[in-house]
Amino acid sequence: MEQKVQKTSATQRGTLQALFVIFFKAGTFTFAGGLAMLPVIEKDIVDKYALLDKETFLEYATLAQTIPGVIALNCAAFVGQRVAGVKGMLAAGLGSTLSAFVLMLLATIAIQFIPQTGPFMGAMQCIRAASSALILSAAFSLGRHNLKSAFSILLMLAALSLVLLFQISAPIVILLTGCAGYAYQRILLQKRGDAA
Amino acid sequence: MTVWIACLNLLFSFFKIGLFGFGGGYAMMSMIMTESMGFGVTVQQLADLNALDMVVPGPIAINAATYVGYLAGGFWGAFAGTLGVMLPSFILIALVMRFLNAYKQNRIMSGFLSGVKPGAVGLIAAAALTIAVGILFVPGTTWQTFWADPFHSFSFLLTGVFIITAVLNIRFRVNPILLTVIAGIVGAIWLR
Repeated sequence: MEQKVQKTSATQRGTLQALFVIFFKAGTFTFAGGLAMLPVIEKDIVDKYALLDKETFLEYATLAQTIPGVIALNCAAFVGQRVAGVKGMLAAGLGSTLSAFVLMLLATIAIQFIPQTGPFMGAMQCIRAASSALILSAAFSLGRHNLKSAFSILLMLAALSLVLLFQISAPIVILLTGCAGYAYQRILLQKRGDAA
Repeated sequence: MTVWIACLNLLFSFFKIGLFGFGGGYAMMSMIMTESMGFGVTVQQLADLNALDMVVPGPIAINAATYVGYLAGGFWGAFAGTLGVMLPSFILIALVMRFLNAYKQNRIMSGFLSGVKPGAVGLIAAAALTIAVGILFVPGTTWQTFWADPFHSFSFLLTGVFIITAVLNIRFRVNPILLTVIAGIVGAIWLR
């Protein structure tokens, strides 16, 4: 950290600029979710600008997924904070989200102009049906990674029925499943401890 | 005046979504859905959001905050929603960086996440089914009207598109953008 303080303001501005550009680029050229950005960011941070070594970057990328919120933004905030403090966190964070905000705003305004009649109406209706099928498919592909034990399948079904049948709100379901996961892990550890 | 109140509500709603949004964009979908419906956003508009997500780059939750914020409160609504979903990340990471070693060593978080991750799968499935029911069934369908006349309470074509898209994407990994374009063409021809 001492080294950072001694740097002249000109190079600090350079670092902030680099952070913004790296995350802006990653945010602009990756589609469908934050995780797809990670390899792109890694190349720039580690190889091109040499802001962090690979090990540190991967550690932050992993930690970013344990913090709630937008994963790409979490990753940007971690890297930015580490490289250049709060200013770095803001530069990287804004970079990672700015183009999504601007482009989505334009898309949202544009979609209001699609006429709700004739073939457009029909096309939109079928696109909506396909689009909801694709959300279901997102659940399946996440399930392939996250449902590997009977307990995890049980938690998945519990979350599903709490929302659909009992209208429990998502934050409460998240807290409940989280606490259940913690309790289950404690029990597993204790059993292993007894066996040893 | 009411515009500013709407913006504050959007800021608060999306702050909540960011704060509880473990596991990235799709895991937040369920929360985004319930919060947005509070702002008068329809299931049709939420399905449009998911279609737009595929063509607009960037994180899903940022896209969603901008979209819902704009529908509920114009430009400043979009700004407030997006700021709201970003703030928890900045605050939490500033905190975690201060206690980084303690955070890495604690076991509570890994246990908590081991439960949240499968839970998130259920939440996404719930969001998908809620949106699907709103789109495939004729508006105003209840259990009573469904049992009275099941064949007129949902659209065969839309249900077909839903099932075929799901199977082609889940089982055969057909590109989602391609599937969306095909669905659009099918709709333009048959539903006009």
